[in-house]
Amino acid sequence: MVKKWPKLLGVFLLGLMVILSGCNFEESSSDAKDKKGGEKTEKKAENVLNLSLDNDIPDLNQVKTTDTISFSVLNNVMEGLYRINQDNEPEPAMAKSYDVSEDGLTYTFHLRDNVKWSDGNPVTANDFKYSWLRAMNPDTAGSYSFILADYIKGGAKFAAGETAADTVAIEAKDDQTLVVQLEKPTPFFVSLTAFVTYFPLNEKFVTEKGDQFALNNQNILYNGPYVITDYNQAEGVSLEKNPEYWDKANVGVDKINLKVIKEQSTALNLYEAGDLDRVILSSADVNSFKDSKEFGTETEFTSYYIQFNLGKDPISNTNIRKALQLAYDPEVLTSVVLNNGSEPATGLIAPKMTGADGKSFRELQGDVVKPDVNKAKELWEKGVKELGKTPEITLLTADDTVSKDTGTFLQSEYKKNLGIDIQLVTKPYSGRLQTMRDNDYQMVVSKWGADYNDPMTYLDLWMSPAIPFRGNYSNTKYDELVTEAKDEVDEKERMSKLLEAEKILLQDDAVLGTLYYQGTAFLQKPYLKGMVTHPSGAPLDLKYTTVQ
Amino acid sequence: MKKYVFIRLINIVITLFVIATVTFFLMKQLPGSPFDEEKLAVLSDEQRAEFLARYGLDKPVTTQYVLYLGNLLKGDLGTSFYFKGQDVTSILVDRIGPSALIGTQAIILGLTIGIILGIIAAFRHNTVWDYSTMFLAVLGVSVPNFVFAALLQYYVGLKLGLLPVAFWESYSSSIMPSIALALSVIALIARYTRNEMLEVLGQDYMLTAKAKGVKRLKIIYVHAIRNALIPVVTVLGPITVSLLTGSLVIENIFGVPGIGSLFVDSIKVNDYTTIMGLTLFYSAFFILTMLVIDLLYGMIDPRIRISGVKE
Repeated sequence: MVKKWPKLLGVFLLGLMVILSGCNFEESSSDAKDKKGGEKTEKKAENVLNLSLDNDIPDLNQVKTTDTISFSVLNNVMEGLYRINQDNEPEPAMAKSYDVSEDGLTYTFHLRDNVKWSDGNPVTANDFKYSWLRAMNPDTAGSYSFILADYIKGGAKFAAGETAADTVAIEAKDDQTLVVQLEKPTPFFVSLTAFVTYFPLNEKFVTEKGDQFALNNQNILYNGPYVITDYNQAEGVSLEKNPEYWDKANVGVDKINLKVIKEQSTALNLYEAGDLDRVILSSADVNSFKDSKEFGTETEFTSYYIQFNLGKDPISNTNIRKALQLAYDPEVLTSVVLNNGSEPATGLIAPKMTGADGKSFRELQGDVVKPDVNKAKELWEKGVKELGKTPEITLLTADDTVSKDTGTFLQSEYKKNLGIDIQLVTKPYSGRLQTMRDNDYQMVVSKWGADYNDPMTYLDLWMSPAIPFRGNYSNTKYDELVTEAKDEVDEKERMSKLLEAEKILLQDDAVLGTLYYQGTAFLQKPYLKGMVTHPSGAPLDLKYTTVQ
Repeated sequence: MKKYVFIRLINIVITLFVIATVTFFLMKQLPGSPFDEEKLAVLSDEQRAEFLARYGLDKPVTTQYVLYLGNLLKGDLGTSFYFKGQDVTSILVDRIGPSALIGTQAIILGLTIGIILGIIAAFRHNTVWDYSTMFLAVLGVSVPNFVFAALLQYYVGLKLGLLPVAFWESYSSSIMPSIALALSVIALIARYTRNEMLEVLGQDYMLTAKAKGVKRLKIIYVHAIRNALIPVVTVLGPITVSLLTGSLVIENIFGVPGIGSLFVDSIKVNDYTTIMGLTLFYSAFFILTMLVIDLLYGMIDPRIRISGVKE
């Protein structure tokens, strides 16, 4: 009996060795080790950038992927016809220029001469045609197919499986000329070509890899500033400068590590140890670092709001809705409760989103909703009179900390300012969405993240037909304005219609209660320069970054 | 013996079938779909149905269940909805390595230190050795491992710079997570060992051995420890399973690309195939470990006889 123990131990150790060998510790670990020591200084010894991703990388297949982490990776290893630059404007990338017809419906893109895939083959107009059709084809598409199909002529029917690919108005005239016809004049179409789903694909390569395409770093062909040298969904990616990139002289960093770190406190420790060059702060840490030179905040094009359900009593009463909309101050919410770099919202469209004449939409519009407790009280009493009784109100939120805190904040503000007790119902994220679809809510804390830099990405959502998910809202005037804006070629005219639409949605009809524009607080090492984060689409662009 | 194992294996298959069935139908009760519902909200009901149909999610749940079971019999766990295009099997294989490594190290460390502490405490019963060991044991059970992990990370990783703060880059990355996981194992094993040792030391046969003039170390090794370890083996089963299959918190804190967070994450995003794959994997692993433990009993304790085994 006793003799069996050494044997068992042997088996155990053998198992451990097998596990160890299966762990694939990276070869490249020397980089991380070498730079320990002199890290606290202002300068970096190596031209290496270390950043973290806050979750696993789900899917690097550009046609199907939908999440911002995959977008962030792909945006640095791939490139569309245009690329969004430091100022959030599209700049020529794979294309050197474009012409647009007078009616704003036909776009002709001219590709650069020397653009190549990472295997040395040229990037051609046909690579774009192939990729765009693939992204719309119901057999291969993901849930982002609408970002092409909504604009390109014949796209919607093709995406619905009703017509064949040759009815879609994308034409590769020659290797360097791509002609696209649109359904409607779309002034932001050039920006859209910088979106992940618009990146090109090499047909031969994709066909060759079949269903293994994009599952590892060898099964992707790159045309962006960097290539992926190491890819593990749970661990992260390593990038290196792409020697075939047309603008490689202007790519500032040789090597980038994007590591998955899900825990914010861990990321902060890594930052302080010099293992990360930038870190997102949790709201608990904001106060301790507020005065640091390395501290900063930024907002993205994601708006949080209360969605009122116009199809449910007593929320169907406009005065009640308006009272609930005006009775709290978003300023208090962002500065006291959230404290994470978010900004109080006075409208639906996020600040810095494009308007006209070089001004942003928010600058043109000003504040649409201004909190006013006295007015809210008045409206509430008026509403109660109309109803004949004091109504019972329930607020639905998701069950993450921020949503719950927002719910509690609203509950106490309503108690304080209107003297009413509202009920809170919390559900998991997908449960909240399901409840909204099932029309089983009165008001809900909801959000929308912009897909592209234009107010249309928001205002489009509340058009008829009325659906429970958008509060059963339907207003012919609103529909008219948004529809007209879609057909309008004149930029100023178009914007004035959209400005009016936002006013109708928020002021006249009080369909939404504005809460905040999502923001982040971060720390960033002083040697890190030209770090570009975009408020919509792919958040991370490291082409312009330097670390020296 | 063979017959016993055979019957147990058949039981395992039936149990797994029941688990698969219950999980499948429970999982389908989750609200939402594996897709970004906020983006799908722009679709009309028809478009939405069409979209779901592409993934076979429009069929009645029972049909989906039969299809799933058919694939399962072929050994196919399907492809993940969230990690699009990836085989669930290959995701499991990729993730289990790091989790199993830190789990195994934690068990070895926990067992070794736990048993040694337990023996010391028992032989120095009611002395300062005993009290301090038991104080450590209580501390180990009551301090959550993520607190310990955060302290380790801050002092050993950041302040002293002895080990990497996080990341999964070399063998040294696995040391701190293993220690953090081992803490509660040490505490648990030390307490069990001490209590059992005290009981065994009071037995008549210990006195007999002493009277025969057997050396003290030999008494401990041959008579005391082997008998005291039987209950330890009992708790070892669940500990092994929970450690080898990953710890959500510890893995997140140290950035270990393990299997720990996969379960929670897959439920959050309604990744049906991954939920099923993980459930079946955990269940199978747990049941098989229990079988091994039962067989081990027979080896350690001659008094335990497996039914059906001929004397």
